[in-house]
Amino acid sequence: MDLSKMIPELLSALPLTLAITFTAIIVGFCLALIATTFRVRRVPVISQLADLYVSYARSVPVVLQLFVAFYGLPLLVGLFGVEDFLSPTVAAMMGLSLYHGGYLSEVMRPAYLAVDRGQHDAADSLGYTFRQKLTRVLSPQAVHIALPGYGNSIIYLIHNVALVMYIGAADVMATAHLVMERDYNQYQFETYLVLAVIYALLCLIAWLVVRFFELRSSKFAPKAAPAKTTIMASF
Amino acid sequence: MFDIEVLLPDLWSILGAVPVTLAMALAIFVFSTIIGSLFAMIEYRRIPVLREFVVAYKVAFKGVPMVIVIFLAYYGLPPALQFLASLIGVEFNGHATPNWVTLIVALTACVAAFQAEVVKGALNSFDTGQADAAYSLGYKRSQLFRRVMLPQVIVAAIPDLANSFMVIMKALSLGFAIEVVDIFAQSQLTAALNFYYLEAFVIAVVIYMVIAYTVTHIADRMEATLRVRT
Repeated sequence: MDLSKMIPELLSALPLTLAITFTAIIVGFCLALIATTFRVRRVPVISQLADLYVSYARSVPVVLQLFVAFYGLPLLVGLFGVEDFLSPTVAAMMGLSLYHGGYLSEVMRPAYLAVDRGQHDAADSLGYTFRQKLTRVLSPQAVHIALPGYGNSIIYLIHNVALVMYIGAADVMATAHLVMERDYNQYQFETYLVLAVIYALLCLIAWLVVRFFELRSSKFAPKAAPAKTTIMASF
Repeated sequence: MFDIEVLLPDLWSILGAVPVTLAMALAIFVFSTIIGSLFAMIEYRRIPVLREFVVAYKVAFKGVPMVIVIFLAYYGLPPALQFLASLIGVEFNGHATPNWVTLIVALTACVAAFQAEVVKGALNSFDTGQADAAYSLGYKRSQLFRRVMLPQVIVAAIPDLANSFMVIMKALSLGFAIEVVDIFAQSQLTAALNFYYLEAFVIAVVIYMVIAYTVTHIADRMEATLRVRT
């Protein structure tokens, strides 16, 4: 086994993994915002649908969600008469966005509710609209509460990006399988160890970035409580 | 495109895998809770060297995706077992280890890291004033643990434990990579027979959501009955 040749080859597939991750982070964030808004405002039917969506994202295995996206989205797209444009990569992006959005909504909602009840009342009594209340009073405080949970959900997302191989996206895992097969499957254990290190490093970087923001946002905390410094914030 | 008629036969076929999945999840849950509690106690009591080991263990098993841990166990566990057996002079073919044993070992190792966090959180929620009160009444350390701490810590941990049971259920679906048949793998096998993939997966989604709903419901009921009214 030649590490100096294998690692660059594995890293050549990293852009796709990162592309899927970042798409899921961005789209998932928007989805989570929409879902959370409906869940805290209790609009009759839509709130229940949002609840259903969140429990789907949280209680169904991610592999299964990916497969549902892979086989279900073409059907959905076909209903609108659009031609099927879904490659495994696009299906992976959409499936993971749906997963991340639902998961993140369950981070945002408790953070929104955890802001001191008096602050909600004070903003209401000053005649703030929902949007003003959200942007001027609640968000700065909720962000601080939500950040550790957000870091966890990003780390979970990175873990789950390793699964897109099963619907045929050519990410790092799939490349690793190609590399192994070229060596007649002699070095499977070693290759997986290298993969483990790569993913662990990705998680470490994500964790450091989130921690940086965590420390910065602590000025919005109601009391000057230092940000939690558990190692890789609890899941 | 979406066939309603195959839903019922698919449902019966996939339901057959539910007991096995639940049994495996329960086994992993019990083992990982025991190991996780040990880890949490080590951190809570601040035992010198073991504590650093636990932190390293948690970093390692939280940073690495479960699929990769499962594959590592699949390729690494049999040779390791065989080597250990040969050390004590027992003739044992490690490669005959059934795949489900490998899966249970791998997932227990992963989930133990999360369980340690859950138990640690519950231990931290324990009010130390009560410990002082118990000591002043002349309780021994073991008595304090059994009569004061345990009943409260267990109740505090129930919601998180229910959550980690669902995490285990979801993680078991990765077992199809090493040919262990759980609900998800069974839905794939069923779909492969009649090519109605989406239908089989929708059934699996519904089964998982029903199980999740039941588990959270049972946990809520247990918490409500166990919590001491104040």
